[in-house]
Amino acid sequence: MSAELALAAAVETVMQNGDVTEAPFLEADAAAAIAVGLSALAAGYAERGIGAAAIGAIAEDDDLFVPGLIMTVLPETLVIFAIVVVFLV
Amino acid sequence: MSQGASNTEYVSARVRARRAALFADEDYRKLVRMGPSGIARFMEESEYEREINELGARFSGVDLIEHALNRNLAKHFGDLLEWSEGRLYDLIARYLRKFDVWNVKTIIRGIYTETPAEEIQTDLIRAGELDDATLDRLLEVDAIEDVVEILDGTVYHDPLEAAYEQFEETGALVPLENALDREFYEHLLDNLGRPQEGPEAKYVEFLQAEIDFLNARNALRLARSGADLDPASYYIAGGVLFDQQDLNRLVTDLDELVDHIAENKRYGKRLSGALGQLREADSLIQFEHALDAALLEYSDTLSSIYPVSVSSVLSYILAKEREIENIRAIARGREVGLSESEIEEELVIL
Repeated sequence: MSAELALAAAVETVMQNGDVTEAPFLEADAAAAIAVGLSALAAGYAERGIGAAAIGAIAEDDDLFVPGLIMTVLPETLVIFAIVVVFLV
Repeated sequence: MSQGASNTEYVSARVRARRAALFADEDYRKLVRMGPSGIARFMEESEYEREINELGARFSGVDLIEHALNRNLAKHFGDLLEWSEGRLYDLIARYLRKFDVWNVKTIIRGIYTETPAEEIQTDLIRAGELDDATLDRLLEVDAIEDVVEILDGTVYHDPLEAAYEQFEETGALVPLENALDREFYEHLLDNLGRPQEGPEAKYVEFLQAEIDFLNARNALRLARSGADLDPASYYIAGGVLFDQQDLNRLVTDLDELVDHIAENKRYGKRLSGALGQLREADSLIQFEHALDAALLEYSDTLSSIYPVSVSSVLSYILAKEREIENIRAIARGREVGLSESEIEEELVIL
């Protein structure tokens, strides 16, 4: 019952003032930081497999060093896109 | 069983590179026209350079080729075991144990025929799980009983011990060799269960195919030879094509046996060409080559369904073995003066 009352009070505040006075769950900066962190984690996981395969290929044939390196860092683009978010918020 | 994560990506990348270095069909066509020294020279310019150079001073002609092939095979398969970790190691080692079986068999045969240890030594393929020290100790003994003793602690000890009694009674090596083979094939599918999908299901499917083909081959040989042997002692459990009753019934009738294989859903279509040939030409060798080719093709399909998995490794192992056998067949064929077309018939090429 009290929750409903609180909700009604909150709605009233919004309707009267046009904005919310309570602090949001996450500040925008913190949300962006989490986004970057998660994408870096995902990129790292993706690079794990590619890196292992690339090292295997380089061990067999030295010429594959450059292609291997490029393939390995491709998932890094994930992090770059995530950093864009930092500038957007 | 080894624990921990596997490094499938690493191993498959290396294996793919090595697969690409195998001889192509054109190379075989060139090799067929060469003599033994030509083949050795051709090999010196390829993958086998190191082995040929190492052994060149000690051997010549076909012996050189043969030993270089064995050593190269051992090197590559030893590498596989060295690279792989965890579950992958377990799956690869399981299959490579067949070289352990081969080595123990060779040693037993050598002792039986009283061949000097140096000669046995050159026929070993050190690619299995038995380490060099154990193999060297096995080479030193001169009674089969001691071989069984040294293998104490490995999976081969108990079956060998049981078979040894039979050996003492009959004086024939067959029970010992059979015991080794059965031990290998029956452990092949240990603790794998019946996975329904994923790379491991394909791995199991492939091993089952190998067992089935082996059973089919034995059954055909038995049916053809008409010898009064007990088929049950050649039967290897684990396949899907035959059960023991089937085999007992079918070895007496060749046509029915061929029909039984043709009716099987899994292999019937794949082997239809070979089965047709078998019905018409009665050529067992052709059929056995067709089985080998079918197995190779099978493993190829498996490796393209799950490119980064144990199947691609398995497919490499098979292709490499086939290459070794093909080169050996060419060298031996040239040595005894077979014609080019006769040698080509002996080759297993996809």
